Amino acid sequence: METFINPKSLFHLLLLPCLLLYSSIAYNSSPVEAAMHTNNWAVLVCTSRFWFNYRHMANTLSLYRTVKRLGIPDERIILMLADDMACNTRNKYPAQVFNNENHRLNLYGDNVEVDYRGYEVTVENFLRVLTGRHETAVPRSKRLLSDEGSHILLYMTGHGGDEFLKFQDSEELQSHDLADAVKQMKEKHRFKELLIMVDTCQAATLFNQLQSPGVLAIGSSMKGENSYSHHLDSDVGVSVVDRFTYYTLAFFERLNIYDNASLSSLFSSYNPSLLMSTAYYRKDLYKRRLEEVPVTNFFGSVMETIHTDAAYKALSRRNSGRFEDEMSLDQSVHHIERRMLIKVNDGYEIHDINPELLQGEEGASKCPWSTFRNKFQKAENVDSLVNYGLVAMIPLLVISTWLVQ
Amino acid sequence: MAETKEKSLSDEKPKPRVRPIVRLGIFLISHSFHVSVVCCTAGVLALFLLPVLAKNTYISENALMPGSASPMLSNQHVSDGNRLVKDLTNPNSKSSETGIESHKIIAQYMLDLGAEVSFHKFHPQMNQFHPLHFFSSPDSGKIQENYSCSSYGINTVGIIRAPRGDGKEAIVLVTPYNALKSGFGEALSLGIAYSVFSLLTQVTWLAKDIIWLVADSQYGEYAAVAAWLREYQTPKFSSLSAPNAEMCPDVNNLFELKGHSISGSKFSNSFRRAGTMAAALVLKVRDQNEQFEDTISIYAEASNGQMPNLDLINVVNYLAVHRQGLRVNVEKLWSLLNSSWLKSLGEIFESLAKVAKSLYPKWKFGIPATEYVEGTATLASSLYYQALGVPTGPHGAFRDYQVDAITLEISPKFSLDKVWRNDILLRGGRLIEGVIRSVNNLLEKFHQSFFLYLLTSPSKFVSVGVYMIAFALLIAPLPMVAASLYVDANSSSKRSKGDSSTPSAITDTDEHSIAIRSWRWLNSAKLVFIVHLWGAIVSLLPYFISQIPDCSPTTSFMIWVLLSILSLLTLNSVLASPLACAKATQEKEWALVKSVTISSVFIGLGLMSVINFATAEIGALLMVPMCLLAQPLKLDVRAGTLRSFCRMICNLVLGHIAFPPAAFFLLKGMLDGFGNANVGDFWMWVESLWAWNSATYLFIGMVQLPCWVLCISILFHTC
Repeated sequence: METFINPKSLFHLLLLPCLLLYSSIAYNSSPVEAAMHTNNWAVLVCTSRFWFNYRHMANTLSLYRTVKRLGIPDERIILMLADDMACNTRNKYPAQVFNNENHRLNLYGDNVEVDYRGYEVTVENFLRVLTGRHETAVPRSKRLLSDEGSHILLYMTGHGGDEFLKFQDSEELQSHDLADAVKQMKEKHRFKELLIMVDTCQAATLFNQLQSPGVLAIGSSMKGENSYSHHLDSDVGVSVVDRFTYYTLAFFERLNIYDNASLSSLFSSYNPSLLMSTAYYRKDLYKRRLEEVPVTNFFGSVMETIHTDAAYKALSRRNSGRFEDEMSLDQSVHHIERRMLIKVNDGYEIHDINPELLQGEEGASKCPWSTFRNKFQKAENVDSLVNYGLVAMIPLLVISTWLVQ
Repeated sequence: MAETKEKSLSDEKPKPRVRPIVRLGIFLISHSFHVSVVCCTAGVLALFLLPVLAKNTYISENALMPGSASPMLSNQHVSDGNRLVKDLTNPNSKSSETGIESHKIIAQYMLDLGAEVSFHKFHPQMNQFHPLHFFSSPDSGKIQENYSCSSYGINTVGIIRAPRGDGKEAIVLVTPYNALKSGFGEALSLGIAYSVFSLLTQVTWLAKDIIWLVADSQYGEYAAVAAWLREYQTPKFSSLSAPNAEMCPDVNNLFELKGHSISGSKFSNSFRRAGTMAAALVLKVRDQNEQFEDTISIYAEASNGQMPNLDLINVVNYLAVHRQGLRVNVEKLWSLLNSSWLKSLGEIFESLAKVAKSLYPKWKFGIPATEYVEGTATLASSLYYQALGVPTGPHGAFRDYQVDAITLEISPKFSLDKVWRNDILLRGGRLIEGVIRSVNNLLEKFHQSFFLYLLTSPSKFVSVGVYMIAFALLIAPLPMVAASLYVDANSSSKRSKGDSSTPSAITDTDEHSIAIRSWRWLNSAKLVFIVHLWGAIVSLLPYFISQIPDCSPTTSFMIWVLLSILSLLTLNSVLASPLACAKATQEKEWALVKSVTISSVFIGLGLMSVINFATAEIGALLMVPMCLLAQPLKLDVRAGTLRSFCRMICNLVLGHIAFPPAAFFLLKGMLDGFGNANVGDFWMWVESLWAWNSATYLFIGMVQLPCWVLCISILFHTC
């Protein structure tokens, strides 16, 4: 943290003389900036090997497809697959993976980027990805480069038990490990909000040790319950999808990127009699009301934007950078505007409800240049104020020269 | 129990603290009679309870997933199979005397499917008694000198390589086929195998290579499979095969013809291999049949009571019952099915279970009496075939290489006309396909489920942890009785000495006499050792007798008996004569002999239970009562009470039953009826035992026979 503070204070010292007038405004606006949801990440993990665990890989690939469809780009998805079912010799359809016996959708199509595959999927690598403690040689594409404005979806599936999740038939991730990793992430400002979704037996037990604020967790089953597969593909000869994931996907298939379905509608869509287990969600660490959080906050890459009048004036280049995520996703300008209005309102609400979540100035963006940029953007509104300020400086100048004489 | 004993002990003699385990041991030894009665009864009862305690089988290995894939075998494949059946049953194909034509047809069919084909020529090995080959692995070095071109068999082998597999593992499908006098059943089994084979050449999901072995069964099914396996597992690096092939023009002919007719094909003259075998299925179709529905019989017992992994049987059973609607059979002792005493025993257990359930609803262990009888019959047959140690089919050859294998025998319901033939081809083929697909899913060797088990029905089993209890209870009294006899013999002689000699003499010779007395058991041990040595000699004798040419089984048996008696007398006169004079001076000598005998029997049974449980169990049923009851007849006659009279009768009866040949004839009579019993049968039986390297033979020769002789010597002891 100190390394960040030093340039920051230096930067302020440099900035003070010339931005004397509106520095107070900038100071006030920086906490708002830190709390802003600026990007989305997804970490999708399939932890089990072997052909008979086909469904776990299919689960993960289905989720991968869904979050990609809802707007998270490939470079912000870390996909970990513990085994290669597509090229397993037992696969009747080589290089294809299906999550339904109708075989309409090949999950392993052209644009699947698997970041960790096979024996790379270990507890160690998983924790390294979460906490960002990589060896220097690990490429950026395999890192979770999130910041304090990130919403992260962590999806895990495999074989679990009471407070553990089995990795690779040889090691386990314990609930303590997970909680510790999340805590480290929180302290390193690697996320703003984190949704952990787990589809294993006794999934709820995995969340027992979590303490970090901003974490929402949902599991497919309570303690002592099994998570069951949804159906068997008698053509491929294995079960192809788990119930919890199947109904999650069914929920998302009805949605597109513009929908405003809330997390609570997702959570209430799980029917215990269909799941054959009780979906459990833990929200005591999460301060926002689930009714007001759209699922696309985690499963898509749709975030609030701030409407500015002077979008195309002096600082238009920076403004367009600010919108780039949405521009890439949306063709319809009309929609953008509609969403912007809603989002701006949401953003202020968050600010009111959640002051402790918002970081102080020190917690602001780690890159000084972006801060500088942001501040400049804020300043646009007060162009006229600057002018008045300059005018007010003239008497000061006069007085000072007079005093010197 | 130990608590009460502790009190009584402390009342009698206030000793320094004795550890509880020692106290318990002393208690058990001092009450050895009651303990042995209780234990033996419990052991026999536990044996009869096993069908009640049997658990349902379950698929233990997750990877297997039987029946999760729908069968892909279609009518197209069935008609392919039918075509082969027709070609094979066509009289033209049988024109050749050696049956080479049918092998050519089969090879041609395999080649047409795109499989790799090779012929494996083998010389049948006569079963011979090799005294040193027990437990040794079969080796390739056994080359017989008297090869003749007239006596060889040809196995046809087709291999499908898994298209995307790594070629490290293989699944073997075996169809025994006798080209010279094949029945329709054999042709049909080939048809089933072929239809599956033709399917498997098209599928994309193979992870293991498929080997189809058409075993030439004119010298026996087992011999052909064993010869092929020997070649597969232990390759010969000599040039012996080349001159042999040259010597026999017929075979050469066969090879050449094939090589020429299909240029560029996958036919090869050399021996073809695939990966390590994951599992093997032997498929047979029975010709005549009197069943009411399509049934499939599973034979699993390999040599020395080894069983394939239970998962393999489970997979076959599951697929046959739940997917193909076939009834699954395992061997039963049919004679037991109608026995009324078993039925009443079953009813007793059933009513007991009802009472228990009414007392506490969670106790659900009862099974219906009819089920109990069937379970017992199956269990008895399971025990019998395991105890025999002779494989029940060609699958036994695989077990010698630690490959899990079973024989499936399909008995179709109706006469094999066209429609029913197609039906059985389809269902049998789908069953085989399902099993192969399931085994194909396997990632490791079969290891999850049990290897040590007894079946009480195709879907019920008794695991080693349960059946060992019965055996353990049965042999538990042996060490206690041995110890108590030893203590008794020592103390009684001490007492008698104490009575006769003056107190001063005791003090003088005390140390010395104790030293002598404590080593007195060595005399008995010597006797026991001599008798066991004799047992080893008797076990070796058949090797020499079998060398005598033109000897009928009856004469061989007689020679064996005569030689055995002769050797016993010789050994006794040479080695045991010093013992005779020593024996005269000592009283209670018989007790020491009995004690050592019991110890040796205990060791023998314990060892045998590790090698072949079933043999040890049956042996224990015969020997334990005999050993425990043995007491000189003279003593019983002298006592003259009712109890001693009963004991005498028991001893005499057991003395007859436990004699191995007597036990054999009794068993045989119970199973087949006493009408056609022949003295030579025993010789034949023994011959088959050593031919299959059965450890049961060693057990009979080196544990049971010596034990019987020793018990008889105790019965007729002059004391």
